[in-house]
Amino acid sequence: MLVRLSLRWKIVGGFGLLLVLIGLLGYVTLSLFWSLREVQRGVFNDAVPGVVAVDEIVRSYTAQSAAVRGFLLLPSDPLLEQYAAEVSNVEGVLEESRSQFTSSRELELLDELTQAGEEFQTSVEDDVVPLAEQGQRSLAQAHFSQQGAPLILEIERLGRELRDLQREVVLRTEQDLQTRSNQALITLVAVIIGALGVGLLLTILLPRRLSSGLSELVEAARAIGRGDFDQKVDIRSGDEVEELGDRFTEMQGALKRLQQLALQDRELEIAGAIQRNLLQRTLPNTATVKLVPIQRQANLVGGDWYDVDVTHSTVTVAVGDASGKGIAAALMATVALSVLRAERGQGASARRIIERANEALKEATEPESFTTLIYATVDLVTGQAGWLNMGHPSPFMLTSGEGPERRDGRPQGYFLEGPRNRALGWFDEPGMAETTIQLRPGDRLIFYTDGFLEAKSPDGVIFGENRFAEALIRLAPLDSNELGEELVRDVERFAAGKLDDDLTMLVIEFQGAPLAQEATDEGRPVGRVTKTEN
Amino acid sequence: MAQQKVEIDIQDKGDYKVLVPVGDLDVYTVGSLRDALGKMIEDDTPRVVVDLDGVPFMDSSGLGALMGGVRRLREAGGDLAIACTREQHLKLFTITGFGEGVSIAPTVEEAAKGFRE
Repeated sequence: MLVRLSLRWKIVGGFGLLLVLIGLLGYVTLSLFWSLREVQRGVFNDAVPGVVAVDEIVRSYTAQSAAVRGFLLLPSDPLLEQYAAEVSNVEGVLEESRSQFTSSRELELLDELTQAGEEFQTSVEDDVVPLAEQGQRSLAQAHFSQQGAPLILEIERLGRELRDLQREVVLRTEQDLQTRSNQALITLVAVIIGALGVGLLLTILLPRRLSSGLSELVEAARAIGRGDFDQKVDIRSGDEVEELGDRFTEMQGALKRLQQLALQDRELEIAGAIQRNLLQRTLPNTATVKLVPIQRQANLVGGDWYDVDVTHSTVTVAVGDASGKGIAAALMATVALSVLRAERGQGASARRIIERANEALKEATEPESFTTLIYATVDLVTGQAGWLNMGHPSPFMLTSGEGPERRDGRPQGYFLEGPRNRALGWFDEPGMAETTIQLRPGDRLIFYTDGFLEAKSPDGVIFGENRFAEALIRLAPLDSNELGEELVRDVERFAAGKLDDDLTMLVIEFQGAPLAQEATDEGRPVGRVTKTEN
Repeated sequence: MAQQKVEIDIQDKGDYKVLVPVGDLDVYTVGSLRDALGKMIEDDTPRVVVDLDGVPFMDSSGLGALMGGVRRLREAGGDLAIACTREQHLKLFTITGFGEGVSIAPTVEEAAKGFRE
């Protein structure tokens, strides 16, 4: 199993290993230095002082022997004093040098040497010197030759033996020194070679390991630049580069989806352009009626639509809204609009057109889908207007403020809530109740879709009928184009720029015909007035 | 557009079930209601009251899903009724004609009384 190690720790680990190796190198070098110093110290502290001491002891006894021999030839006090001084000296040296000898053989030899010395001194002090002082010099000499001289020889032999032992110690120490220095040298060389090897390995492997995944990523990034989102990135380094690789793969997927979405958007744009071309941008104006369309789509395509047809004596207007949003709604709108235009082209009546549109929508769409619609006809000469409301929001009337029944000359506005029918696409018989009114010069009959009423503020409050009516009455002094644009801006501001539904409005401004003015009040208003004045 | 959610609570009243959506019913959330209604048909409990008092806003997609529910439940031998006191929704039912032929009442119990036999 791969241990997950971050890039940082890999670098730290690499340099750490190098530091450990340098430390080891230092340790070995220092150890070698200390080891050689120890050996050196051994030679000077143990072996050399031992040899010096043995030489001094033997010399001192030889000097004692020489002083006694001199005294036997020519007795004098200075010779006895010299002897005494050497006795004292040898005692001191023996005392001091005992610690220089460590092996049992050395101590044994030292003991024998001490004993021989003591015997020599006893012989000299108890026998030889008293005999000489009593004038028995030949007897004293004989005594010395028999006892003292052999002891000196014995002392010299013991001294040689002890010195040989000491030399062996020196030799062993030197050999030890040689061995240790060889071992240290081998260790040192091994550590240097090891450090170089590991350093070389790290120098080659670490950058390669760190950069191999990155190279793969760079290659995949270049592929994206060429539009290829399928280049596989498979990094198993167990560190951040692997993590980066995984995120990169996710990003490839996201980019691919974005590309597909961009393609879909492009298709939607084309669909939107087709839909916009289906809706007439500029409407024919007549001598008595001005037609102004206003539309804002929430998406590239939508379910709102309108249609206008002008003949020599009438203008026919339809404003529709397919339920739902997007492509499905746009297709439903196209179905309704196509049937309407086809039937109208063949001279069909409003009822027949509505029936056919209902049948087509029922057949072509899901049971959930429906279309609300107002189909209106305005007589260009008389100002008589009539419509079929198929489940659609009530039209709005904005009067000019002129005329006998208007107060203060201020514009009035109200919803025209006449008889209504059912939305299209749901029922076999949606109903055909018609509403008719008489328009007066300056009247503006406004058809619109529910996007205006259902626009939501960020905190979920809907624009609603009251705000809609108030806004229209407030904006009434503007001409119809400006009125529509301003109203849309009002709604957009209310929704903080986020419209969920399309806004479609068609203003039919009746500019007047003499006949219409004589039509009096009979035809208006047909429904309950929900908003009467500003 | 941020994705919104609608929570749908299901209550069993023995002879019918009550779906209580809480949240806006619009094009973004209506799938949940559609799925819940589909499940009622699968579970062979096709008599359903949808209580709309927890729905502050409903657009044409929400209304469409309710009509789709009416159709499918009736085909499965059941019915869909609406419990609603919200003026705004009641107006939408009236305007579009949805309310004709569908039992709509202020309380669940009253709405359930209007199930088609």
